[in-house]
Amino acid sequence: MKKMLCVIMVLILAVGLVGCGKGAKTQEGAKVDFPTKPITLIVSFAAGGGTDLGARLLAPYLEKELGVPVVVENKPGGGGWIGYSELLKAKPDGYTIGYVNTPGLITGYLNPSAKRQQNLDSFTYVANHVLDPGVIAVRADEKRFTTIQELIEYAKKQELTTTTNGVGTGPHMAALDINQKMGTKFKPVHFNGTGEYLAAVLGGHIDVFIARVGESLEPVRDGQLKVLAVTTKERVPQYPNVPTMNETVGEVLNYSSRGIAAPKGIDPKVLEKLQTAFEKAMKNPEHVQKMEKMGLTVHYLKGDDYKNLLKAEEKVIQNLKPLLGWN
Amino acid sequence: MESLGYLLQGFETAGTWANLLLCLIGVTFGMCVGVLPGLGPTAGTALLLPLTFGLPPVSAVIMLSGIYYGAMYGGTITSVLINTPGESASLMTCMDGYPMARQGRAGSALGIAAIGSFIGGILALLVLILVGPIVAKQALKFGPPEYFALVVVGLSLLIGLMGKSLLRGLIAALFGFALALIGMDPLTGTIRFAFGMEELEDGFEFVSIAMGLFGLSEIFITAEENLNAQAQKPPKIQNMLPRREEWGPSIKAILRGSGIGMILGLVPGTNSVIPTILSYTIEKKVAKDPSRFGKGAIEGVAGPETANNAYAGAALIPLFTLGIPSSPSIAILLGAFIMHGLTPGPTLLQKNPEFVWGVIASMFIGNLILLIMNLPLANVWARITMVPFKILLPNVLIIMILGAYSINNSMFDVGAMLAFGILGYFMKKVAFPLGPVLLAFVLGKIMETSLLKSLTIFSGSFIPFFQRPISATLLVVAFAIISISLYFAYKEKGIDADTEI
Repeated sequence: MKKMLCVIMVLILAVGLVGCGKGAKTQEGAKVDFPTKPITLIVSFAAGGGTDLGARLLAPYLEKELGVPVVVENKPGGGGWIGYSELLKAKPDGYTIGYVNTPGLITGYLNPSAKRQQNLDSFTYVANHVLDPGVIAVRADEKRFTTIQELIEYAKKQELTTTTNGVGTGPHMAALDINQKMGTKFKPVHFNGTGEYLAAVLGGHIDVFIARVGESLEPVRDGQLKVLAVTTKERVPQYPNVPTMNETVGEVLNYSSRGIAAPKGIDPKVLEKLQTAFEKAMKNPEHVQKMEKMGLTVHYLKGDDYKNLLKAEEKVIQNLKPLLGWN
Repeated sequence: MESLGYLLQGFETAGTWANLLLCLIGVTFGMCVGVLPGLGPTAGTALLLPLTFGLPPVSAVIMLSGIYYGAMYGGTITSVLINTPGESASLMTCMDGYPMARQGRAGSALGIAAIGSFIGGILALLVLILVGPIVAKQALKFGPPEYFALVVVGLSLLIGLMGKSLLRGLIAALFGFALALIGMDPLTGTIRFAFGMEELEDGFEFVSIAMGLFGLSEIFITAEENLNAQAQKPPKIQNMLPRREEWGPSIKAILRGSGIGMILGLVPGTNSVIPTILSYTIEKKVAKDPSRFGKGAIEGVAGPETANNAYAGAALIPLFTLGIPSSPSIAILLGAFIMHGLTPGPTLLQKNPEFVWGVIASMFIGNLILLIMNLPLANVWARITMVPFKILLPNVLIIMILGAYSINNSMFDVGAMLAFGILGYFMKKVAFPLGPVLLAFVLGKIMETSLLKSLTIFSGSFIPFFQRPISATLLVVAFAIISISLYFAYKEKGIDADTEI
């Protein structure tokens, strides 16, 4: 009986080995034979969050382009870095890719207490998916300042509290950036989430609402908030009548980007294939419309352009390091 | 009146087949954890929480809250029949419920408990409907300083009500605080006490702590004590209604119990045991013949059983309007809200009315289901106490491990749960209360962030805390609570509330 089992085991092993060899061969021979198995898309944030929803909306279109299943896998924690670390540990074969979000990606290694060795060069960039512009808003019944110019002038003389959703997040950087450039006295107060700081602004405990366009849509529609400016180069489609900082008081660029990265060392041909698929999927009008409904702006950028966007953001944060106490 | 319209919409949400089914599952499971000694509502809710991840938020919370108030009903059965409280809120029910059962009146005891629980639950819901929206509007006045002051009140009550076990309670609470400090500093972003583990950069996962400390430790203890114990055969239940002359005092006890439960439900830092003890004490005081108590007085069952259900309903008011949990079970519900992307607080009623009112409506339905389950079907439930632990415990353990893994798809949380389970086991062995650990963990985080936010707003000064009317009042109340409990501690009195939550 035991002998029999041994023989069967050996047989199975042998078949397995032969199978493996075959697989390796086909990959060697025809490099463009990608993909042949399901692709794992790591989302480093909890299921149901903004990044997760965006990924799940994109996955079906991606599957259509690539012809294989795209499996969204949530690996939340550590401000996204649990998932990023896992992504970096994966084989650079194109079958494991993942979302990276700013500014958490960048602050994750710039924050000295995190003691991380990685940086932007640790990843290969596939494509940017979403760009969520920053907004500056106040209570709808605010009398002290009704335009961005008035707000900045007021804040130069008087301290004003602003909302953030945590240390080193976009809204935090925006307030520090404006202080540095324009000599305003904004005091960022750290909250845990939008719901929490919206209540604090509406209750009059915090003066200025700094957040993302997506988070401001509902309270603005309900007439609770009034948007004074957006922190992008150009005006945003959601608020065509709202000026940018650039055209009023001076350049302040602040947004968060969510895109797809792969571990370093991925085959350029595989990367190219992925990029083409992502471009088609992201630019699908149906997908763009679905994302817009959630207040998310699809902003496709290919590999190098995407990396340049991240580098620009890294520079902004580098400049703010002294203000963050990260030396 | 506005509320009434919303409530009707809520019934529409709660009345779909899927949600009705989940409500039924929730209250049935709640009855089970209530009936089974060892598993309480906190452990039960924590246990099922990870299984709700795939559900829409409203359905998930309908089910989870069903477990919570369902357990309040279920705990009674074992208290009355075999003199073992199924969960701690039914502790006082043993005092007179079991003597009633020995006189062959188990039916009446269970009947009045079910009726009282139903009335208490429904009254608390009505108060929630009437008061909730008003509180929610006022809640915008609660800025960071007011949150801080409210949490201070809650924590002083937590300490004040510890009674004899003050030292152990304090150690437990401080341990909870220490756990809350793990993770990123909310003011500077410095990573604290993570020991180089990326998993700890966001702090411990609340669910793994809750499941470990409450669920797993209970399983260990039960396994140790009762694994081979012969299940007691419960007596037959008949005559569910009390005698005619008992109705008057019972109804009065039920109304008093409702009042006590509702008021205590509003206060953070309490637990569902305190209203039952208070209600029992009051019933004994107002009774014409206090000597009947302990020998089968029906008011002694009616009052406390009502109080714990009224408490369960009223505790939802601070949760829905301020996002502050009153008790460990409610803290787990809060965890469920956050996992499903909802922020409990002043904007919840405004932003997600269909959610809030759907859950409230489901609780009416759930209470009705429970009333039916408890009156005609009491005999069926009594038999659950006979399921051997040998079969029950391993199954529960499997569900827990799966649940812990599914929070973040990570083995780290499973390990954390196991570690907290072992820790909880030893804490129970040396009679450390576990409730304060969990409450201090949750309230500690709120306290730290709201303190830091306030100090940023006030530019580092503490004086403005006393210049804002709400926060000043609350801080004075906290001071009064501490002073009074110190006074009572000095007189060697105080409520003995160190029973497990």
